[in-house]
Amino acid sequence: MTGRLYQLPLTGKPQRSLTLAKRRAAQAAAPETGLAARQTPLWYAVAIPQLLGIPDEQSRKDRLALLADRLGTLSASVSVEAPDCLVFEARSSLRYFGGIGKLRALLQQLLEPVLSEWGLPVSVHHAASPTPAASLLLARAGCNLLIHRKENLRSALGRLSVQSLCMPASRRRQLHDSGLRSLRDVWRLPGHALGQRFGTQFLRQLDQCLGHIASPVRTYQSPPRFNSSLEFEYAVESTQRLLPAVEELLERLCSFLRARDLSTLHLHLSLQHEAQAPTLLTLDMRHAGRAEAPLLLLLETRLSTMALPAPVSGMQLEAWRFKAASGSSHSLAGFVTEGTGRSAPRDAIAPLLTLLQARLGDAAVRSLQCHEEHCPEHAAGQAVCGQEQGDPGPGQAETLQARRPCWLLPEPVLLRQDNNRLFYRGSLRLRSGPERIETRWWTGQDVCRDYYVADNARGMRLWIFHEREGERRWFLHGIFD
Amino acid sequence: MPTSDTDPRLLSLLHSPGLWRGSEHPASESGITDPVLSTGFPGLDACLPWQGWPTAALVEIITPQWGIGELQLVLPLLRRLSQQGRMSLWFAPPCSPYAPALLASGVDPACLYVVSAPPAQALWGIEKALQDASCALVLAWPGRLKNRQIRRLQLAASTGRTLGILFHHDPVRQSAAVLRLRVDATAQGLRIEVLKARGSYRQDIVAVTRGQP
Repeated sequence: MTGRLYQLPLTGKPQRSLTLAKRRAAQAAAPETGLAARQTPLWYAVAIPQLLGIPDEQSRKDRLALLADRLGTLSASVSVEAPDCLVFEARSSLRYFGGIGKLRALLQQLLEPVLSEWGLPVSVHHAASPTPAASLLLARAGCNLLIHRKENLRSALGRLSVQSLCMPASRRRQLHDSGLRSLRDVWRLPGHALGQRFGTQFLRQLDQCLGHIASPVRTYQSPPRFNSSLEFEYAVESTQRLLPAVEELLERLCSFLRARDLSTLHLHLSLQHEAQAPTLLTLDMRHAGRAEAPLLLLLETRLSTMALPAPVSGMQLEAWRFKAASGSSHSLAGFVTEGTGRSAPRDAIAPLLTLLQARLGDAAVRSLQCHEEHCPEHAAGQAVCGQEQGDPGPGQAETLQARRPCWLLPEPVLLRQDNNRLFYRGSLRLRSGPERIETRWWTGQDVCRDYYVADNARGMRLWIFHEREGERRWFLHGIFD
Repeated sequence: MPTSDTDPRLLSLLHSPGLWRGSEHPASESGITDPVLSTGFPGLDACLPWQGWPTAALVEIITPQWGIGELQLVLPLLRRLSQQGRMSLWFAPPCSPYAPALLASGVDPACLYVVSAPPAQALWGIEKALQDASCALVLAWPGRLKNRQIRRLQLAASTGRTLGILFHHDPVRQSAAVLRLRVDATAQGLRIEVLKARGSYRQDIVAVTRGQP
């Protein structure tokens, strides 16, 4: 046992060098065996500095993504390098396009119409080298260079300014103060000392440029988009007859969503007519879903309330905004049990609310909101369900002290006054009050009222107020319960 | 019933499966019993066969006019549901519920949604909400209803295991609702008359005093 342990380090080393030697031999023999040695990749970078002139960051991103989509015809791996660059692997498709010159011409042809459509200058910077980092650096610096071999990278990058590297301002100043102007100056220094002085991040960038360490590239993937349509053999006149086709389209949508593990919040159904523009139907859901039955129910509800302007000859279902599907768990017994968490029932009711909104209109379903306000009519509000601004708001302390009616009239109702007595469905008797509310003087519409609680002969408990200024009229403002 | 133990003829009759006894109500057809929620008024609880609001059922509250205090009857229920975070839907209320007042009574306004719709559409919505298990309580002011419509809503409530409470003024003669209450205002508060409670033949009258303003 001890002998073997003792021998381990000794036997380990020759073995490793043996495998290395084997690998080298295999590489040398590769051309004879019909296997080509692995080609050095060629990363083609395009810098579009005119994009930086667009102030909106999101729009910049969208445009870059659109260009990346276009470049999908040139290479299988395109990467978006924010804020202004695109990089793609060109070696694998070089022979197909007939050389780097042709590729460049093709690229220019692809970019020019898009850029001129956006009203931007069409000239861009190109650079190609064996590492994506070096290509990016060269393209951003405006050097239109083509470097085939890794060995040449060092000298080609040497003339670039150190400032073109990506780093914080303090590091820039430090480099400048050290008298390092171009990368050539940096190459002269030993790597170990560089790492100590300027940080490993700096060193890492240099190594990535030279290809000493790999620089990962995130391949751009265009966002998913669902688009499916059906043509009818004859024009359909009733909405009921449309349902089987809707079901078919939804089936396609749901298998699309399941395959990508997505769920959707918006559906766009367009009904095509023979002689006129298509009827568009947009469905916004509160609850992202990918189950067929609720979607069908929603579309059915929506279709049943609409009148077709003309017979339908075909339909198209589109969806382009998606969310990652999130699983949900259902209660085992199939009903809401007592003591369930707060958020669960609130989410669970979302499909019902969506259904009600689909039939009755979005504005029909409202949630109640509280505001920090002293004035009664401004202390509460309603928000269309699904468009609430933030939290419905916790209650303010002051309403908890004073009694407020459960029903507040939309507009105060003028009370009939006769012989110093007030009438609302019978004569009123004051029970308590007054509670003075004086507020909103800053709006120019002062609220200056004395509120009383009054009962009428029919047993209604009313919240009435007396104006303290102006005509000093009496109004009914709320009913207690 | 002491006689049932002694008289064999009566005993055999009582064991006959074809005989339905008014005093026994099926706990639940599906075997699931939901916890009973108290009405919040001990006097009212005592004269209801469930010792609280029925579950998975339709309740009619009949008032001569709205605003006489009938909302007081459901406030304890709303408070309880809101504490549990369960949702209620209000269909076509006569007026807008005032959130600060609900909050002051212990009802979280975030636990309720108000649905406004014309009467025919509202009925469709009430049925859908009653059928949906995610909604714990439906309060509705549907206006005049036919017996057929009430029966349909009662059926929806039992499928969705939801409590539905209808407020209206003109009762039909026979109704499929599980519980019917007539509520009138008195000088002291409310007078509640149990018109019908399924599984009970008592027709009690309960007085509920109103809180001081």
